Amino acid sequence: MERSVLDSLGLEIVGVMSPVSICMLFVVLLVSGFTPPTTSADHSSSAQVTAATLVYQESPSDPPSQKLAGAILNAAVFVALVAVVTFVLVVLYYYNYTGFLKAYMRFSAFFVLASMGGSILFSLLRRLSLPIDAPSAILLLLNFSAIGVLSVFSPAVPIVLRQSYMVALAIIVAAWFTKLPEWTTWTLLLALAAYDLVAVLCPRGPLRILVDLASSRDEDLPALVYEARPTVANPPSSSSPFPAASVELQPQTLHSNPNPDHTPDPDANPSPSRSSSISNHADHSVLEIDSIAEETHPLVPTEASRSLPESSRSNRTSSEDLEEMFDTTRGIRLGLGDFVFYSVLVGRAAMYDLMTVYACYLAIISGLGCTLILLSVYRHALPALPISITMGVIFYFLTRLLMEPFVVGTSTSLLMF
Amino acid sequence: MERDDEERRPLGASWRLTHRPAAADGGGSAAGVSGDSVVWPTVDGPLGLSEERSLEYARNFFRWGFCLLPFLWAVNCFYFWPVLRNRSSSASFQRIRPYIVGSAAGFAVFTILLSSWALTFAIGGEKIFGPAWKDMVMYNVAEKLGLTGWI
Repeated sequence: MERSVLDSLGLEIVGVMSPVSICMLFVVLLVSGFTPPTTSADHSSSAQVTAATLVYQESPSDPPSQKLAGAILNAAVFVALVAVVTFVLVVLYYYNYTGFLKAYMRFSAFFVLASMGGSILFSLLRRLSLPIDAPSAILLLLNFSAIGVLSVFSPAVPIVLRQSYMVALAIIVAAWFTKLPEWTTWTLLLALAAYDLVAVLCPRGPLRILVDLASSRDEDLPALVYEARPTVANPPSSSSPFPAASVELQPQTLHSNPNPDHTPDPDANPSPSRSSSISNHADHSVLEIDSIAEETHPLVPTEASRSLPESSRSNRTSSEDLEEMFDTTRGIRLGLGDFVFYSVLVGRAAMYDLMTVYACYLAIISGLGCTLILLSVYRHALPALPISITMGVIFYFLTRLLMEPFVVGTSTSLLMF
Repeated sequence: MERDDEERRPLGASWRLTHRPAAADGGGSAAGVSGDSVVWPTVDGPLGLSEERSLEYARNFFRWGFCLLPFLWAVNCFYFWPVLRNRSSSASFQRIRPYIVGSAAGFAVFTILLSSWALTFAIGGEKIFGPAWKDMVMYNVAEKLGLTGWI
C-alpha cells in the first residue's frame, strides 16, 4: 500500500454510514412514534416467548438481581442458538450445499418481508387509520415481498434497489427485536458483540471460516450482506441466516495484492486467474469488454494507477484504474446483523428519551468509524459489532445516569440551554 | 427468474471485467469515449448487465409482471431506463425496448387502476359501499385475523 489508508476512506465511510443512519432513523421513528405510551406494562403483558426469551420472561416487578440473572441466561441461550445456526450454515457451505443455503435465504427474506413486515405495515395502517381495502393492501405487500426476494438474489435489479431492500430487512428485524424486554436487550447486545468478536477473529471462529472459505472459492459471502458501491458503484450482496447474521465488516481483498498476471494485458487475453473465475457463458462478453477497453485506452502501469490521486481515481480515466479499485476496495460490506443490532440499540434508547438516542447514535457511528479505520489498516474481515456496541451501551448508561439529571436539572432551573 | 442461482456466479465474476470506462451514474450511462459513445443498457452502467443478458431479464420481468406482480414492471423500467430514454442506438437496444415500453405501459395502467380504485374506496367509504366497507378495510381485516402483532 503506497497510498495512505485515509485516501479512500471518506467515501467508504459515507457509503456505509448513510445506510446505517437511515436504518437507525427509521427504527427510532417506528419505536418512538408508534409504540404505545405505556411501553413497559405492555411488553410484559404481551409476553411472547421468542428465541431470545426462552429461559426467562422478564416482568417489571422482579428484583434487579433476578432480572440480571435471567437476562444473562437469555442472552447466553440466544448466543448459543446463533452459534449453532452459524455453525450449521458453515458446514452446509463447506460441503457446497449452496443451493439449499440460497433457498433458505430466499425463504427467510420472504418471511421477514411478508410476515414480519406485513405485521408492521398492518399495525401502522390501523394506527394511522388508513382506509386501504384488504385486496389491494395484500397485493401491494405481495409485490413488495416478491421484489424483495428477487432483489436479494437476482443480479438483474438496480443496485439502489438491492441496497434499500437490505436496509428494509434490517429495519423490520430490528423493529421486532425492540420488543424484547429491557434487561434482556442489553445483555443480549453485549453478548452478541462478544460473540462477534470471537466468531470473526478466532482462528476457528465460524464466521472466520466462512469468510476464508468464500474468499478461497472466490465467491460471494453466503450471507445477507449490505455492500456499498465500490467507491463509485457496487455489485450485489447476498443472503444470510438473519438471526445469525452478525457478519463482519469485510473489505474485498480477493486480489488485493497485484499479482503480475492479473494486471490487464495488452493482448486482451483474460489471464488464467481471471478466466477461471468467470463462468463459461460470460466468457465472450469478457473478451469483448477487454478488447474495447484496450483499443480506446492507453495502458497505464498498475503501479502508476495505484498511486494516482483520489480525484482521477473517481473519474475512472483509465481501465486499470477501475480494475485496481475493484480489486482493492470493491466496496465495504457490512453484515445485516450489524445493521440490526445497531438499530436495536438505538431503538431501545429511543424508548427512554431522545437524548440517549443522540448519544447512542454518535457512539455507534464513531465506533463504526474506528472499525473502518482498523479495517483499512488490517485489511481482513473485522467484527463490526464490538466497538460500536460497547461504546453505545456505555454512552447510553452514562447519558441516562449522569448527563440527563444534569442537563434536565440545569435547564429546568434555567441555568443553561 | 428461475436461473438466479446460476446467474449469481457470472455476475460475481463479471464485476472485475468492467474496467471499461463509462459514466456509471447520472442515469444516462452514456460515456463519450474518444469519439464513439458507449451506452450501457442499465442504470448501473458498467456494473449492470451486459446487453445480451439484459434481453432475457427484460423479457422475463415483463412476462412475470402479469402474475399480479406489477412492481416487476416498475423495476424493469427503472433498471433499463437508458433503453427507455434513448430511441436510437444499437440493434440490441431495439430488441430490449418493446419489453421495457410494455412494462411502462403495464405499470401505468396498473397504477391508474389501483389508485382510482383505492381513492374511490378511501373517499367514498361507507356512503358507496355500505356496511360492507367495514369488512373490507384492511385494518379491520387484519385485526380480525390477528395480524397486527407488532404494536
